[in-house]
Amino acid sequence: MGDGNSNASSSSRAGNSNNNGNNRPEWLQQYDLIGKIGEGTYGLVFLAKIKSNRSKSIAIKKFKQSKDGDGVSPTAIREIMLLREINHENVVKLVNVHINHADMSLYLAFDYAEHDLYEIIRHHRDKVNQPINQYTVKSLLWQLLNGLNYLHSNWIVHRDLKPSNILVMGEGDEHGVVKIADFGLARIYQSPLKPLSENGVVVTIWYRAPELLLGAKHYTSAVDMWAVGCIFAELLTLKPLFQGQEVKGTPNPFQFDQLDKIFKVLGHPTQEKWPTLVNLPHWHADVQQIQGRKYENAGLYSVVHLSPKNPAYDLLSKMLEYDPRKRITAAQALEHEYFRMEPLPGRNALVPPQPGEKFVNYPIRPVDTTTDFEGTISLQPSQPVSSGNAVSGGMAGPHVMPTRSVQRPIPMGMQRMQPQGMSAYNITSQAGMGGGMNPGGIPMQRGVAAQAHQQQQMRRKDPAGMTGYHPPQQKSRRF
Amino acid sequence: MAANFWTSSHCKQLLDPEEVDVVHPLDKERGITLEDFKLIKLHMANYIAKLAQNVKVRQRVVATAITYMRRVFVRRPMTEYDPRLVASTCLYLASKAEESTVQARLLVFYIRKIYPDDKHKYEIKDILEMEMKILEALNYYLVVFHPYRALSQLLQDANMNDATQVTWGIVNDTYKMDLILVHPPHLIALACIYIASVLKDKENTAWFEELRVDMNVVKNIAMEILDFYDSQKMITDERMSAALIKVKPITPQ
Repeated sequence: MGDGNSNASSSSRAGNSNNNGNNRPEWLQQYDLIGKIGEGTYGLVFLAKIKSNRSKSIAIKKFKQSKDGDGVSPTAIREIMLLREINHENVVKLVNVHINHADMSLYLAFDYAEHDLYEIIRHHRDKVNQPINQYTVKSLLWQLLNGLNYLHSNWIVHRDLKPSNILVMGEGDEHGVVKIADFGLARIYQSPLKPLSENGVVVTIWYRAPELLLGAKHYTSAVDMWAVGCIFAELLTLKPLFQGQEVKGTPNPFQFDQLDKIFKVLGHPTQEKWPTLVNLPHWHADVQQIQGRKYENAGLYSVVHLSPKNPAYDLLSKMLEYDPRKRITAAQALEHEYFRMEPLPGRNALVPPQPGEKFVNYPIRPVDTTTDFEGTISLQPSQPVSSGNAVSGGMAGPHVMPTRSVQRPIPMGMQRMQPQGMSAYNITSQAGMGGGMNPGGIPMQRGVAAQAHQQQQMRRKDPAGMTGYHPPQQKSRRF
Repeated sequence: MAANFWTSSHCKQLLDPEEVDVVHPLDKERGITLEDFKLIKLHMANYIAKLAQNVKVRQRVVATAITYMRRVFVRRPMTEYDPRLVASTCLYLASKAEESTVQARLLVFYIRKIYPDDKHKYEIKDILEMEMKILEALNYYLVVFHPYRALSQLLQDANMNDATQVTWGIVNDTYKMDLILVHPPHLIALACIYIASVLKDKENTAWFEELRVDMNVVKNIAMEILDFYDSQKMITDERMSAALIKVKPITPQ
């Protein structure tokens, strides 16, 4: 929004003449398609580079025309509607919207983020075999809360926070910066026309707040904070905190196993601690099942291996408060003692500011280079990818591994120099531009693409957004 | 931002009246005057409201749809963007944006019901194609703020709860004009309250002065609304038809 009207280009002219020979709309010519990086019910996500600035990677989310003959999917409308209005360093930025009138498909272009919390957690659990370092956990959490605080203060509930929707920027001037993504379920909750719950069941079950599981109709930003608590615990232990078995195919949000998993760790909710509990439909619906078992001992600290006196534990338990009205808000959480003690959170969550401190090279996102924009497998010689390779020949390295085999991505980013990293923070954040030190490494391919992901940007920052970023303790760790 | 008007795309997109009252060159060629232009938009606003009654969506959806329609015609010619199709599709898109989706086939059904003898039959496909064109024409800005949001609170504050209905009606009528493209919604709300106080013979000067808004702007908006009420009486069916005939699509797309 800070970029004004020129931000999303209206491609109507291109659209009207998009059948120029190869059936490829004009707007698409500005990108070199690298390959597919994700897939969801709505469509596909692609990685592309801007031809005029090949250091800039773009994630393009393609929405198929909905099958029910009802035009642009409401998910896409919601995402466009919200992302066109918001602008914050810790929220993905929509850089362009394109329409292909020929096949009625819609494309959202985001700046590309190399990592996400799902992959970072998985890398530690399956490859590194050690916990994520404290600085990184705290910085990721702080930035996630910072973005969420911005959304909530603008009356936007995300409703689908989970590790795979929390992106982290790869190398470049925004290295290690968190971006909240995927606003397909997000809502402005000021005077909704219909109760939010009428739009169907939302939020991946593991991160779903208890009031939703118990059938709350009018829920609030507190559902996002519950999800943040679950994500926080998962960053600490590398395991989903409440891994319930989802009962599929029911329009009913009641998921007994998920509730049971929560009760086992947090103890049974009581009307004393959560007075409005009795008003929730499912609390009565199945008295036997729900209220039958009694779990008393809250074992959260032992699950996350933290002393109850640890501020991290205190913050976590406040996020996992049963009563949504008592649950800590994003604004309150940012003020929590946990963020005021060493190690202090920083802007580059992946690389601790102290020189010499170890950091993990996270693998880059696998790219399936055999899928083109139409979602068809196997590229023809005229596809943008091949021309992209030709153009990029003289650059830092090959951008595409022309092989179909499944490989372990090898981190090959430039060695980061701490002083440079910090100066990049101070200078580029003001000046806004920045060439991007590394185009993002070498995309590898893998047979099955990960879940849908997207976005980012290295463009101008709203100055207000920047000042809003700084944690209060930023000064103390500038050098 | 989604909940703060002052940082919203709506606020940034507000136009001067001179920018709104511009007939597209292609429309001019077809003999469409500024008066025709306004009449057609008025007609389409009424049409959206009528269609909305049939498909049963709330006033906020109607208001958003009319705003979309008026924004589209700031930049797009009526001779290329068939106003009736644009109007119908704006209601369709607004219903999605306001979280009360109306199915395209339902919409098509009611369009045919309202205009049974219209030679120009719209298919679902026409609506869906136009939806994408409208998204482009709107430059993908879909969040719209309306005077309704501030209305009840302001009325209560002004101790005018008894004037709720009449004020609400005046606000509805403002969508027959381009006010929503030009003025911040809360000022439109105040102008409507101002008119309602005059109608109800309620002395409210002190309350308005305490608001710390530019009362000249509020009064000017009120004058515009009153002028509109006056001029509306003169619009004959013949005059309206004469304007509408100029935008009849020559060939179906």
